Amino acid sequence: MSLDILFNQFMSGIARGALLFLVASGLSLTFGVLRVLNFAHGSLYMLGGFLCYTIWGHLLLPLFGFYIATILSALIMAASGLVIELFVLRRLYHRGWPEQLLATYALILIITDLVKWRWGGEFLSVPRPKPFTGAVFLFDFPFPAYNLFVIGLGVALAVFLWWLVYRTHLGDIIRAAAHDREMVAALGIPIPWLFTWIFVLGAFIAGLSGAVAAPFGAVALGMDIEIIVECFAVVVIGGMGSLPGTLLGSFIVGQVYSFGIMYKPELALAFIFMVMAVVLIIRPWGIFGRPER
Amino acid sequence: MSGRKVKHVLLVAVLTGLTVAGFSGSSMAQEPIKLGAIYCFAGPCHMYSESAIKGIKIAVEEVNAAGGILGRKLELIVRDTEMKVDVGAREVKDLILREKVHFLEGPCSSGVALALQVVHSEYKVLRITTMANTEAQVVDKFTPYVVQIVPNTYMEAIAATRYLHKRYPKAKKFCTIAPDYEFGRREEAAFAEEIKRLVPDAEIVYEAWPKPGEKDFTSFITAIMAKKPDAVHSSLFGGDLVAFTKQAAPYGFFQKIPFIALYDLPVLLALGEDAPEGVMGFGRGCFFMDPNPKMMAFAEKYRQLHGTYPDSWAVQAYDGVYLLKAAIEKAKSISTEEVIKAMEGLTLDSLRGKFTIRPLDHMGTVPCYQGVIAKDPKYPFKIWKDLSRIPGEEVIRSEESVREIWKKTGVVR
Repeated sequence: MSLDILFNQFMSGIARGALLFLVASGLSLTFGVLRVLNFAHGSLYMLGGFLCYTIWGHLLLPLFGFYIATILSALIMAASGLVIELFVLRRLYHRGWPEQLLATYALILIITDLVKWRWGGEFLSVPRPKPFTGAVFLFDFPFPAYNLFVIGLGVALAVFLWWLVYRTHLGDIIRAAAHDREMVAALGIPIPWLFTWIFVLGAFIAGLSGAVAAPFGAVALGMDIEIIVECFAVVVIGGMGSLPGTLLGSFIVGQVYSFGIMYKPELALAFIFMVMAVVLIIRPWGIFGRPER
Repeated sequence: MSGRKVKHVLLVAVLTGLTVAGFSGSSMAQEPIKLGAIYCFAGPCHMYSESAIKGIKIAVEEVNAAGGILGRKLELIVRDTEMKVDVGAREVKDLILREKVHFLEGPCSSGVALALQVVHSEYKVLRITTMANTEAQVVDKFTPYVVQIVPNTYMEAIAATRYLHKRYPKAKKFCTIAPDYEFGRREEAAFAEEIKRLVPDAEIVYEAWPKPGEKDFTSFITAIMAKKPDAVHSSLFGGDLVAFTKQAAPYGFFQKIPFIALYDLPVLLALGEDAPEGVMGFGRGCFFMDPNPKMMAFAEKYRQLHGTYPDSWAVQAYDGVYLLKAAIEKAKSISTEEVIKAMEGLTLDSLRGKFTIRPLDHMGTVPCYQGVIAKDPKYPFKIWKDLSRIPGEEVIRSEESVREIWKKTGVVR
């Protein structure tokens, strides 16, 4: 197998990993701080995609329409995140896992039916925005420019989250709250509001990634469940609530899938979950995760 | 009262009684014929199922406006399987036992279809399958209570393979990419069978099986291109095909490799300008695939009602109602067994031209369509040119082959 083919397959894996990271980072962030596994994260991602399609269609701006639509979709999803946190999640923090799972699963059903009601069952498509419509040549082999955009956005989000969590005062509080929320509350920091804003940020990221995924493929019902399953694999491998873990997990899942497709396509999906099983056996809390206290 | 008079009164009473009985008999005949339409309003099937119901409704209204069937109105009852096997089985049972439907039409998903088949066959109710196209319904798991009028997986793939071979006769090295479930598996098996018959030294160098609903085909695309095939056969459809097409285009995939897939109306509408001209498509019959006067009249009627053009699913569902009408009128009865007998060998002049229900396995000799994606000034979206219509008779599985499979699966007929 020649080197350029391997390089190409590697780049496909990177692009896939970048998209997974965009979605999984929001999931992991909310879990790390709130300790609530938001099953409906994928649904917020799906809504982001549908919103992007509708806003883009109304704007009719060939040059910036998509970018404006993306930002607006992310903002609308952030606002929905605020509502969901205040009315649903806030009531669940002191409850057990089963209630949290049920409530977020209920959100999936509600959002799916909302989408069905507003957009119907059609699959929709947003064309790739300028200047990312064509291909760029990497070592004489074409590579879709939009994939590079997605990779770039993934890197930018990783840097932003790293800066937020490790280099700001808010980040100190986030990390402290993830570690010991009673202690942080005792210091006079309003934990409920911290949780609200983290969830809003998570919802913003979900909406953003859904909008960015829209020109990548098709916007359709079912894209929520499809992505959330792989995101779980990512965060389980990397470690729940860990930013570097999510990054590594996305990379691993993207590459395992990409080379799996090349050599044994029937088992490509199974390989991902085999890796997950191995990680769970050796390090049940994930590569970068911390054991639950 | 004299004896004679008594006789007379009695005669009158008997005659009146007979007349009343006759009357009530004919008022019985005025009770509607119930058609249960059971489709899958969820996931990828949602949109197709909505089209089907629109098609059925137009047909039912036309039939009723023209006096119904045998003087009886046709009544439609719609049910949703949610694309789930267990829900489908429950709903079809309810349609049969509680709603007492006489006939069934649907569903969308091939998996659900096979589950329904077990239930309605047990209750001896006939189902016309217009959308779910797994061949298993009429071949592997044949029961007399199913009639299929959508090109099944075997016919569709055989026809598309012949078209691909006709356009690229020198192609020997092939790749396939298909959704990993019943439908995709069967289509690609038929492709492999047919291409080896047409090109004895043909080789399938790579088979890709993305899961249904895959969003990112990039790795599949680079893997296929690395194999440098002469052509690619695909049974991707719907949103998956839209995603694949958009992701493959920047690689110059469509300029380098001849490609054929299920590029039907909804996919072309979603892709808009991104629909790749010159790429081959196959489909099951909508207005631009078969622009005959009857089809175009239906398309126009549908468009005035719904503001959109009907896709193949609306066409097939519409044809299903008229097939039922023709069979009932031929049988002069709504008894299931008699309608089945009437359907066997029946020829319908449908929107897609004439087709006949083969008595052996109840498969309709419905046509399969192929073409090349192209712009047309008449429409705001891309359609096909270089149209090909392969009649069902040419691609239907031979009766010997059907019987051979039946020997293996234990069907006795």
